[in-house]
Amino acid sequence: MSPLQIHAQPSRATVWTLSWLLFAAGLTSYFWVSRGRHIENPDDRVMPTIRQMGQGFADALLKPADDDEVAPDADKQSLFAKIRGGMLWKDTMATGRRFLISMALLFPAVILGLHMGMFPYVGLFFLRFVLFFDKIVALSLLPILFIAFGIDEMAKIMLILIGVGPTIILDSFNLTRGVPKEQIVKGFTLGAGDFAVTYRIVLKQIWPRVLNSIRLNLKAVMIFLFSGEMIASQDGLAYRIALLRRHMGMDTIIPYVLWVALLLFLIDYGMRVFNRKLHPWFQEA
Amino acid sequence: MRKLIITLSGLVFLAGSLSAAGNTPTFTLGWSVYVGWDPYQYMAKSGLLKKWADKYGVAIKVQRFDYAPSLDAFVAKNIDACAMTNMEALDMPAAAGVDTTSIIVGDYSNGNDAVLVRHNLTLAQVPGHRVLLVEKTVSQYLFERGMTINNLSSELKRVKYVNTSDSDIAGAFLGDPSQDVVVTWKPLVSQILRGKGITKIFDSSKIPGEILDLMVVRTDVLNRPDGSGQRFAKAIAGAWYELTAQMSKPGPEGDKVLSSIAEVSEDTLESYKEQLATTHLFYTAPSALAMTKSDQLKKTMELVRQFCFSHRLLGDKTSSPDDVAIRFPDGSIQGKKDRVRLRFDASYMALAAGGKL
Repeated sequence: MSPLQIHAQPSRATVWTLSWLLFAAGLTSYFWVSRGRHIENPDDRVMPTIRQMGQGFADALLKPADDDEVAPDADKQSLFAKIRGGMLWKDTMATGRRFLISMALLFPAVILGLHMGMFPYVGLFFLRFVLFFDKIVALSLLPILFIAFGIDEMAKIMLILIGVGPTIILDSFNLTRGVPKEQIVKGFTLGAGDFAVTYRIVLKQIWPRVLNSIRLNLKAVMIFLFSGEMIASQDGLAYRIALLRRHMGMDTIIPYVLWVALLLFLIDYGMRVFNRKLHPWFQEA
Repeated sequence: MRKLIITLSGLVFLAGSLSAAGNTPTFTLGWSVYVGWDPYQYMAKSGLLKKWADKYGVAIKVQRFDYAPSLDAFVAKNIDACAMTNMEALDMPAAAGVDTTSIIVGDYSNGNDAVLVRHNLTLAQVPGHRVLLVEKTVSQYLFERGMTINNLSSELKRVKYVNTSDSDIAGAFLGDPSQDVVVTWKPLVSQILRGKGITKIFDSSKIPGEILDLMVVRTDVLNRPDGSGQRFAKAIAGAWYELTAQMSKPGPEGDKVLSSIAEVSEDTLESYKEQLATTHLFYTAPSALAMTKSDQLKKTMELVRQFCFSHRLLGDKTSSPDDVAIRFPDGSIQGKKDRVRLRFDASYMALAAGGKL
């Protein structure tokens, strides 16, 4: 059977090889070009070697940022204390806090979407505005955001909410509308009230899909968060990347980017597992 | 499959023959919007650059960038010449091992960069407040020099910098009245100063000649064996000084050139003149030559390289500022002789001054 047919059945070894092939090709070509650049110019900073990146990552992990005070007994600290005082840990904490707050604030958006879908007056009031708002490119209105929210934490979180909130609201709204009418009627005939129907029949059903949609929007959340940190901030992963760019510290930037990718992957994976555990009856995701 | 391969190899062949077809060596010059560099765009648009390029048998493309990407492109060797400040020339290409030569010292900031405050704060009161600026650029250099000149350098530790992108810094400061201090450059400075209750407490006219705007070329381009790199540099210098002569003409004649320059960078004549007033542009080659050969340049570069080193702008692994050495026109070197990475070459300005271009 030709391997290019729909019915092809790759062996285990082929599956493994094929799925890692692009990684290998990417890495090989990177290090090949990097090596060439380093032979030509030993001080090259654009494409650091694996050793430089390892060193950069170790420094980021164990050493505090250069503008931070160095603890007097820095040499004697345990490894754990060193990591906690290190640049990477502090940046991750700062970005992580903003991320968690904005994720938490996305849940009211779900509730709003649900109510818009269930209660005609709420829907009428919000729908057109949210539809309009969804199409606004928030990043181009920054000067107005600064007036409304300053340039501190609030502004960064609002940027995420304005960017991602409407999508989540509209998605929950549409999912709510997608719940079969018969079930709602049945709920009423069995004596449920408005809120019981809303929360115990509809919300329960849309919940796994809503979680899925939040999960798919993780990257958008991260993009808005990074833009916010690059515009004005004193800490955070994107702040560090913006600063390091100023002197081409690619040996630290590349490990940072990979670290962010890993974190995002883990959150995504965690949410998928959580969703499956919570809603074993839901098969779509 | 075979068809695909044939088509692809055909394309590769075509691309190869296309790039071999041009006999005139082509060079790319990158610039970003700034009062001292806007003339480069006009130079290209008005045909002035082409005239000089033709004279020296080269072709020159001029490309506009944002400032940071222009530096990236220069370091990655995607462009051959680039407009940048003396500080960035040292901490970007030179520190990244890209041997760089300054061929034109165009101007110095004589008030273009400034420290602005609300509530009439003084420099002594700034520590403890947050300072909006693009960290690790000339803005931070200016601010820390100001503090040092006023004997406040011990207070620098208490200053909290907020790294703010230059594209949003004016909006961020004007929009958020809880911010008290901002350091930035023109035309943003003029824009911010129009806000209520904002005053200027320090600017680059108090450290004249320290923030220099250069035109730099990669040294390996200059040293090409066929001499095309040098012809490229000569063409730039020739066009530059012809243009500055036109710019400095009094009355409507000069105004016409200035307003064309302002136009290509989407500015107005009035605003451009306002920026020129705080820029010490070396309109003539002899004045630029004198600056480049002066001892003051050495003192400036000493300050700049110490600043860059202490802020780790020369790289985490650079153990001494001497590892990124600077060579001056008289042959003297700051740093290790075998690690010269930035060169100030006065010869093109000298040729222009002698009318030999």
